[in-house]
Amino acid sequence: MNPIVYAVLFVLLAPVFGGLLAGIDRIASARMQSRVGPPLLQPFYDLGKLLQKDARQVNPLVEPLLLGHVGFMAATGAMLVGGVDLIFVAFVFALAALFLVLAAGTVNSPYSFTGAERELVVLLAAEPFFILMLAAICKVTDASSYQGVLSSAVMVAPKLPGVLLAFTFVATIKLRKSPFDISTSHHAHQELVSGLTSDMSGRLLAYVEMAHWYESAILASFVILFFNWSVPLGLLAFAVIYAAEVLVDNSTSRAKWQLVLRSTWAVTLLLAGGNVLALFLLK
Amino acid sequence: MSSLIVFLVAFPLVIGALLLGVHSGKLRNVIVVLAGLIVAGASIVTAATFGNGNALFFGLPNGLTLGQGLLVVEVLMAAFVLFVSIQNRRVLAPILVLGQLAISFYLELAGKMPEIDAGRLFWFDRLSMVMVLIIGIIGTLICIHSLGYMRDYHRSSPMIKGRRTAFFCLLFVFLGSMFGLVVSNYLPLMLVFWEITTLCSFLLIGYTRTEETIGYAFDALNMNMLGGLAFSGAILLLINGNQTLDLAKLTSGPASAALLPALALLCLAGLTKAAQMPFSRWLLGAMYAPSPTSALLHSSTMVKAGVFLLLRLSPAIAGSDLGTMVAFIGMLTFLFVSLVGLTEQNTKKVLAYSTIGSLGLIVGCAGLGSPELIWVGVMIIIFHALAKGLLFLVVGTIENRFYTKDMENFDTLLSRLPLVSALALVGIAGMFIAPFGVVVAKWTAIRAFLEIPGWQGAALLVIMAFGSSFTIFYWGKLLIKVLSMKSVTEYERSIQKRISSFEWIAEIALAAGVLAVTFFLAAISEQVVGPFALATFKGTSQSFLHVEPVMLATMIVAVLFLPVLALWASRHENYNMSDFYAAGRPVTNGNVVGMALGGTRAVTLRNYYLEGVVNGQLVFRAGTTICAALLIAALAAGMVGR
Repeated sequence: MNPIVYAVLFVLLAPVFGGLLAGIDRIASARMQSRVGPPLLQPFYDLGKLLQKDARQVNPLVEPLLLGHVGFMAATGAMLVGGVDLIFVAFVFALAALFLVLAAGTVNSPYSFTGAERELVVLLAAEPFFILMLAAICKVTDASSYQGVLSSAVMVAPKLPGVLLAFTFVATIKLRKSPFDISTSHHAHQELVSGLTSDMSGRLLAYVEMAHWYESAILASFVILFFNWSVPLGLLAFAVIYAAEVLVDNSTSRAKWQLVLRSTWAVTLLLAGGNVLALFLLK
Repeated sequence: MSSLIVFLVAFPLVIGALLLGVHSGKLRNVIVVLAGLIVAGASIVTAATFGNGNALFFGLPNGLTLGQGLLVVEVLMAAFVLFVSIQNRRVLAPILVLGQLAISFYLELAGKMPEIDAGRLFWFDRLSMVMVLIIGIIGTLICIHSLGYMRDYHRSSPMIKGRRTAFFCLLFVFLGSMFGLVVSNYLPLMLVFWEITTLCSFLLIGYTRTEETIGYAFDALNMNMLGGLAFSGAILLLINGNQTLDLAKLTSGPASAALLPALALLCLAGLTKAAQMPFSRWLLGAMYAPSPTSALLHSSTMVKAGVFLLLRLSPAIAGSDLGTMVAFIGMLTFLFVSLVGLTEQNTKKVLAYSTIGSLGLIVGCAGLGSPELIWVGVMIIIFHALAKGLLFLVVGTIENRFYTKDMENFDTLLSRLPLVSALALVGIAGMFIAPFGVVVAKWTAIRAFLEIPGWQGAALLVIMAFGSSFTIFYWGKLLIKVLSMKSVTEYERSIQKRISSFEWIAEIALAAGVLAVTFFLAAISEQVVGPFALATFKGTSQSFLHVEPVMLATMIVAVLFLPVLALWASRHENYNMSDFYAAGRPVTNGNVVGMALGGTRAVTLRNYYLEGVVNGQLVFRAGTTICAALLIAALAAGMVGR
């Protein structure tokens, strides 16, 4: 099939995937807390509601920046499965995340601004890993695109166990799960109120949610790269990793940003860096 | 061709001498603008007459000879350095300059100087062409910008004695010697131009003649003259070993063990000029010079002379232990200064760290040497010269409006200076969001690192992954500050109108340049940089740059997005559309929050500088130490011919 078809399919279906994932997440979390939880499709109802509400705009920049955030996030996923060079995709992925930081940072509110700074710290923590991960996958498979990795005769995960382990650690950040969710919060009692989304409402909040769904789908696509000999197996692995994240989310409180930064860099350096070193020495 | 080159070198020198006698501001404006246009035009004509792109070698026109000219210039420069050193009671600089002079006299008096091949004094190829265009066009724009900048600079700091005649003289002398440097093929000739640029930098850093700036000026002088001494030492070694002083012949392929000691010294010279660790300190001190100096000498051109030399040496040192260690010095410098940059609040210093980091990437590419990496190195030179030059000019303009270089005071810049902000955004986008400072160059570099076997490849990948992520953080912080908005008063709106048209012209032209090279990326790669990389490494038909249309489209959208958005947003009538969330407290004017007992307090927002996690000074010292050790090892490896 033409890679462009995959790209279009990603743009259309990734929000469905992300929304369903969020729905399952909420039910699973509720069960862990001995509640019944909302219906599976609740995230879609919420999104619909947000889109209908008035958006209170603080300045003219916020909405375009958030549209940029969604747009670049969707473009990242589309490029990823559409066969664009994987390392190039890593840079676009970071750019997409940066737009959210800028949207919150342009607001003069202490709450939004602190959230934006923390999100920037989170980006700083996670970014080295993603570059290293995609480079390592390219190295193992001798491929440069998503399709190239999937059709490679080499299985990725057995060669990159350290990188995969580090992925489960770093994904906690990207999926916005505690202990590493330091910039947004869905819980009312946190000191940041709602972190970098404090001054976003109505459809603005809907954009953030949409972008997050794309992000989840991108992360799932990354996991598939590790299990390149079978896509269903990759999705299963993502389900297992996600379940672990939900469990961690519900059993831990949030960490300070200093810990997030230090521990993520250490994990990236030791697990992923060590794995890459072994790979270069052995190959 | 040869008369054009002589014109490019001599004309700015003449104009420089002329400007020394011009005390009328209006006359100076006319001369600088006209001479600048002629210089820019001549550089374009030179590039256009270059023809098919094969390397050209030529000498002086019409029977002119160098004669003892080089020695005379060296003696004059040494006398000048001795004079200022005695005046300011410095010891190190005279030792260095006398050492260098001693080598020259020894070679001359002992009759050791070999016969000059008069037809191969100059070397013009695609790399020289790129450099000549950068110096001619960007250099001219920065000179024009200075006309406006220096006026406001002296207005805002009246206690500084105005010596604008000397300032503009130095800018033009610098341009002339820089042209000479990038077309020299005969090493002693290149050395003379090399040292003139060092002196220009020294004098411009010490422009204000305060105790502080004189100290920084001598820092720069000492480190660069150490490089100059190493350059002289390399010439001595080459002559004693009966080797050629012809740069093109020297670097036509992998060097023999007998050549490596001299090449090691040349690498040392390149590293000092490119401000790589352990020599990075001088470039930070250089930030105390007026901003156009930082733009011209300390980002767009002079520091590029260091990486220019290393790129020239690349085919000779690639594959040797020397080359690998030089590459690691560059890459580690990139890593360490990017990390230090996270903790820096002075915008000019952040730009300086970013400059040292970009130069480090180029050094890394030159040391490892492959067609792909040379391609990356030249691409970074082009984009960095435009984008960083622009950023320094913009910071200079802001500095003269708000009297600060502190990033934290750039708050709500978009509301106060919308057009300046849009230009700053083009610069930042050019450095980091879009193709060049980062994306395509770093991407191609990572691709090339994947092919390097053993631990070196892995180490380079890890360095690159961390280093490039660090840069996101400081550019992100700067973007937040530039993009934030509040409601502004009539007075604040009027500030932008007081920026001189000289500054507007230069900044807008540079911004247009950043956009133009982004659009014509493929053409520049296919016509200029790609053929150069292949010619340098005798490669065949690699396609380094496989920029698919979708990538190019993404990058163009990414570069244009923020500046266009900023211009659009600044046209809004109301910057403060509604109050932000302040836990139920009333907000007025978009940044004043009501307190519990009826008082009010303006919100001050301060970026994170990672206190408690990253200690900037410690990192800087650690990097300097590690790179110094590596440098000693690299020199030792060179000396034993590895």
